[in-house]
Amino acid sequence: MEKTKAPSKIGLFIFDPGGGLARAVDLGTVVQKLIKMKNVSRCEVIADIWSGFLVSVKEDLKAGNLNRLLWVGRFSPYQEKIIKAELSAEGLNPYLHEWCDVEEQGVGKEGPDRAVQTQKVMMLVQMAVGRARLIEALEPVSLPAVDAVLIIGAGVAGLHAASSLVKLGKRVYLVEKESGVGGKVASLHRLYPRICDPRCGLEFEIEKLRGSNKLELHTLSRVKGLDGGPRNFEVKIEKAPRYVSEERCNGCGKCAEVCPVTIPDDSTSHLPQNPHQSGKKAIHSPTPMAFPSAFVVERRYCPPQCRECVKACPTNSVDLEQTPSDMTLRAGAIIATTGWDPYPLSKVEEYGYGLYPNVISNLEAERLLENPPELKEVGFIQCAGSRDEKHLNYCSSVCCSVSLKQALSLKERLPNSRFSIFYQDIRTPGFDEELYQRVKSLDKVIFIRGLPSTVKPDGENGRLKIRAEDTLSGKEVTLSLDLLVLAGGMAPSGGTGEIAELFNLPRNNFGFFESHLQCHPEESQRAGIYVGGACRGPMNVGQSIESTHRAMVEALQFIDGTFLVEPTHPLVDKTKCDKCKRCMEDCPFSAYYFDSEGFPTPDLARCRQCGNCMGTCPLTAISLRHFTIKQTAAQIQAIKVSSLPKEEPVILAFLCKNDAYHAAREAADSDAVIPANVFFIKVPCAGSVNNALLADALSFGIDGILIAGCKDGQCHSVRGNQLVKTRSGDLADKLKKMMIEPERVRFEHLEIRDSGRYVELVNSYMRDLKAMGPNPFKV
Amino acid sequence: MPPKVDREKCDGCKAEKESLCEQVCPGDLMHLGEDQKAFCRMPRDCWDCMSCIKACPKGALETRIPYQLGYHVARLIPMMGTNTITWTCIDLNGKVERYQYRNRGSDD
Amino acid sequence: MAQTIPKDFNEIQSEMIETDLLIVGGGNAGCFAAVEAKTKNPSLKVTIMEKAHISRSGATAAGMDAINTYLRTDKGETPESLVKWSRAQVGGGPIREDLALSNAKILNETVDMLEEWGLPFVKDEEGHKQLRGRFDVSIHGEQLKPIMAEKAMEMGAQVLNRVVATNLLMDGDRCIGAMGIGVRDGKFYVIRAKATIVSTGGACGIYKSPTTDYSGAHHQTWMCPFNVGTGYAMGIRAGAEMSSLEQRWVATRTKDFSGPVDTLSVAFGCLITNAKGERVMQVRYADKGGDKAARFYRLNAPMTEWLEGRGPTYVDTTVLSQEDAKDLREDLLNERPSFVLFLASRGHDITKEPVEIYGSDPYIVGGHTGSGYWVDINRMTTTPGLFAAGETAGGNPNKFVGGCGAEGRLAARGAVEYVKNVKLPALDKAQVEKEKERVFAPLLRGPEYDGVTGIEMEERMQRLMDEYAGGIHQFYRMNEERLDHALKNLKMLKDQTKYLYAKDLHELMNALEVIDRLDVAEVLVHHLKYRKETRWPGWQTRMDYPDVDPKLDCFVESRRDQKTGEIQMSTRPYEQIIPGDRTKP
Repeated sequence: MEKTKAPSKIGLFIFDPGGGLARAVDLGTVVQKLIKMKNVSRCEVIADIWSGFLVSVKEDLKAGNLNRLLWVGRFSPYQEKIIKAELSAEGLNPYLHEWCDVEEQGVGKEGPDRAVQTQKVMMLVQMAVGRARLIEALEPVSLPAVDAVLIIGAGVAGLHAASSLVKLGKRVYLVEKESGVGGKVASLHRLYPRICDPRCGLEFEIEKLRGSNKLELHTLSRVKGLDGGPRNFEVKIEKAPRYVSEERCNGCGKCAEVCPVTIPDDSTSHLPQNPHQSGKKAIHSPTPMAFPSAFVVERRYCPPQCRECVKACPTNSVDLEQTPSDMTLRAGAIIATTGWDPYPLSKVEEYGYGLYPNVISNLEAERLLENPPELKEVGFIQCAGSRDEKHLNYCSSVCCSVSLKQALSLKERLPNSRFSIFYQDIRTPGFDEELYQRVKSLDKVIFIRGLPSTVKPDGENGRLKIRAEDTLSGKEVTLSLDLLVLAGGMAPSGGTGEIAELFNLPRNNFGFFESHLQCHPEESQRAGIYVGGACRGPMNVGQSIESTHRAMVEALQFIDGTFLVEPTHPLVDKTKCDKCKRCMEDCPFSAYYFDSEGFPTPDLARCRQCGNCMGTCPLTAISLRHFTIKQTAAQIQAIKVSSLPKEEPVILAFLCKNDAYHAAREAADSDAVIPANVFFIKVPCAGSVNNALLADALSFGIDGILIAGCKDGQCHSVRGNQLVKTRSGDLADKLKKMMIEPERVRFEHLEIRDSGRYVELVNSYMRDLKAMGPNPFKV
Repeated sequence: MPPKVDREKCDGCKAEKESLCEQVCPGDLMHLGEDQKAFCRMPRDCWDCMSCIKACPKGALETRIPYQLGYHVARLIPMMGTNTITWTCIDLNGKVERYQYRNRGSDD
Repeated sequence: MAQTIPKDFNEIQSEMIETDLLIVGGGNAGCFAAVEAKTKNPSLKVTIMEKAHISRSGATAAGMDAINTYLRTDKGETPESLVKWSRAQVGGGPIREDLALSNAKILNETVDMLEEWGLPFVKDEEGHKQLRGRFDVSIHGEQLKPIMAEKAMEMGAQVLNRVVATNLLMDGDRCIGAMGIGVRDGKFYVIRAKATIVSTGGACGIYKSPTTDYSGAHHQTWMCPFNVGTGYAMGIRAGAEMSSLEQRWVATRTKDFSGPVDTLSVAFGCLITNAKGERVMQVRYADKGGDKAARFYRLNAPMTEWLEGRGPTYVDTTVLSQEDAKDLREDLLNERPSFVLFLASRGHDITKEPVEIYGSDPYIVGGHTGSGYWVDINRMTTTPGLFAAGETAGGNPNKFVGGCGAEGRLAARGAVEYVKNVKLPALDKAQVEKEKERVFAPLLRGPEYDGVTGIEMEERMQRLMDEYAGGIHQFYRMNEERLDHALKNLKMLKDQTKYLYAKDLHELMNALEVIDRLDVAEVLVHHLKYRKETRWPGWQTRMDYPDVDPKLDCFVESRRDQKTGEIQMSTRPYEQIIPGDRTKP
């Protein structure tokens, strides 16, 4: 509610640094007239904001001679910032400044009639004074951050971040697209440098999470949308059906025993002798790791009408009719740990991956390490796809160590076999060097510097013939191999791509999340969204865990405390509101809820301040603060149509600040001539324009109203442009009934680059209006 | 005479409970039907105060003089601004008369 | 939308509310009362029970084109001069000069509040509020009602929209709130209040209106047809004393479509003429003051012309220029916009043809005449804890918008003082249950009940009152025998209310409205019978007692005996405070 307050005392300063405005406009007359306006306490032309000027303004503020400032002319964002900062030290709230850039309205060019331009400046400044009288001091709204972190991807990085956060008492939403956690690492046989079982380490993390009431794990789930903002994100996820109740399933496995269908196991199907025929059934334990413990059904393999698992389940947990479900999760911060994908080796055509069964990737090789078949000759090709401008133009950093680790493991099982490693450079940074030294010392392990040019079948025996040049000796090497392992590189994961797209996060040249690699490596380019682990770039498991912990610490700091919402949010006047709910229906961001008295109230954390509620409210009961209906009405009222020649049409334009406004501004800055009687008001979204304001304008005699919004599909408020199109269309229909040309209210789409079209538009509208004759309400 | 409802235009105010005409009618006469369109439940009881006409955001309502009292057809259409109202009156013979003035506050 | 209609008694939900000050009726007086109460004591809980929606409810729903009482002190007007004028308008009274003076003293302040809240006043060249008569100032009052309503809410009054009051909540002789039904939610409301102000407006629809033809024009009335006299009826049933109900108000209106004549005749100087082209007031009422004759003479004149064979009657608008005519229509748009449409639907150029005028049906409206509750200077009725303001408060005629607002403020002041020393007693459950049974009975009889609808009974009553108690079709004339006939049949109708049934909550409201109207009509007829004289022709014309009886220069009072239900009549003396000739303004 407005409290009784001191009357507005406006200091009005016309900024004309180069004297350009004075050449086009009679500023003397302007100042003389403006100083007489109600509430204008000081009015002068200034050439710069220094040399004692701001000091004198400060004195006036201190003495109470001024309490609002209206700045006419073009100020750079930097100058605006300086002025606000300087004067806020003197206690002037930053919202008590009003900025009136007359140049963007097409004034200030030499050439057009000086008297006409002078009159336009007068009108524009009077509009600004009308608004400035009503502006109020505002303070940002402080809201508590949502005390939860959402982690995308339950691989090794996601699990580590989750377990630490949970331990610190934070609520964690862990979203994973697979049926179980563990990610890529769970499918590895051994981790270097300690050559231990990765599942051991993962189990350790899972154990910390199991039974935690702070963790909400969503498997089989994909992120579908992001709403809200930093410290208050709303993440929409879609959960595919599991067909087994996570609450009830005890993991006894009786279902899998009766399941008649054995399905291919993606993780082993590609291997040559397929030693791990898993016997995986259509209903099976989650993969890669059984957390959650509840089984999962791959429904596409189920025979029609088969209900064996349903019958066998002792806890009545199987529900084959489950459907996908959507849900929205609220979190203060997000950590993406979307990991990496192996580079598709079939693209590296010369190595025959996909053509020959005994050409496998290093990831697939992990499966052979425990119990390898008899192999006499094994080859490794390093940098398969990496460091190659045709493929991955970077070093994947882990592949050398991985191949060394694999050679070491295989050598333990197959001591008499021969291993040949083709490489460009062996890159074993830090302590990995020890691994290199160990492998080098082994018998029958040969390092060949040079990458093979071809891989071909060696006759009919299924072996491979490989030819390469050893660049150290200059000799050609030809080998016949039982198995060829390609050290494929680490590529950005599909999940990283999806999230980057959905969250509008930039990616670097290689497709990984972009961040400031030296200073803030785990900060994405959006506040409150962090990236950890191999979604940032190639790294080994240890590095990935370090990275995700850094991301976690950042996220923790971020959600600790409050966040500020700009005070320019909508305010509902309960004395006017009839609870008709139209605002709620039309809010593009579903930000409205009913308060305890049944009044619609915006959730300030969700609200994007687009003003569509203000535009749609039939009772003009909603206003964005600092852009109130009253302030805009005062601006419109200040256009004294009666002071202009009756036969000259007057256009009032409402331009969306996102696109149309920039088009108009660019048009004004170009050589184009903007008709003098076009006045525009910059609005947060075309949809924020209320029909009552249009009615005001028409009743004051404005001849034509132009509302310009974004192109369909580009509206920053989703459908604000459509809403205002419908509403202004209703008004146009009403005008028709009133026997007034409906064309006097016009809606257009304007893109940011449409400055030329804007000029054409206002000129052709002028001509149309002239042909129509004056608005019949014009006095 | 009750307001004539343009059923094409009327969108029931997208309302959960009541449309604006229903809320505002001093006689509890405007009502939303099952089809979410407004109607006057007791035409004889309307006082012709035109509150609903002013309230309708869609311009879907129009007051008509009962034929028993006046000839077909004259129109009176208010257009509500923030602090202004305009009236357009079109008489039986198509003669148009317009009015505009502030209904709140004062001119500077 | 589908309503919540209770099917049986146990399904009816009750809403219990406790408040400091209950205002029944959120119109002009009610809104001002709320603002004043919250100003005097911001911590006071103020609840407004509103039959419709407060933004556009009651008599000012369509707007106003003038504030009919304002003192232009620069022209020498004083509270005393206004009271003197008001006294003359009712033929010298009797009027409650104490009440009228206290009202007049805060009148300008009250009207200025409206301006401060945003109501546009037309100003003359010197910046004063533009006069259009001696005490009327012009406004652009289309938004009058929403402006008042928003202010009341802004001050923090709780508003219960669409809750219709049905009876006062009593603790012995003391009023401790009111009960009502929610016409949207179907709930029974029990509102306990330390003090209650009744400001429900007057009673319309007691008589048949001249345009009633059972088609689309039943409500071509001057007064808001949704003001049915509930405020009086509740007081009558609770045993409060009513004053001067026999001083009915009849208005002169444009014929066929009830449009305001004051706007034409007072503001634009279009005088009343008859079929012979005579200037009626000058020719026939010269001895009464001609065009400045007491109000009832002016209001009664057109119908007398018809009766005596000189109808039709007109206001002579042909004296107007085209510009004046347009200004006139603009004024009309502020108060009765549909009348402008009516003229358009006849293609009527008022500068060429005069506008026909006719009488209206009679109303009980204490903001215009002296009818209403007997109140003390604090606006408390004879029932402790119950205050009245605006049309419901009697004794003080010619209040109109400004005066009713001022009286709302005075009643609030009285109530704010009163609540300081009272506590709420425990709820009388038996009383509440009894009322709940009474008000929901028509609905619970069910839609298939073989009975009578509220509308049917209303039309029966309106015709009875019209013909036997001095309605317009009888040129407002009455005699003892006809009044006795009316009384006898009103008793029958009252007994027959047990057959009322309703299909939905709106019809239930109609049924309860006719019950209220019958209670008012009954007391009204007793008043008309008691005043065996003709003091205010038109408002009260006794054919069997055509002259003024000096013995009846007093207030006629009534009170319903709480045991027998009989209406007991009495008088109270008139006290002159402002000296001088009572008939001279």
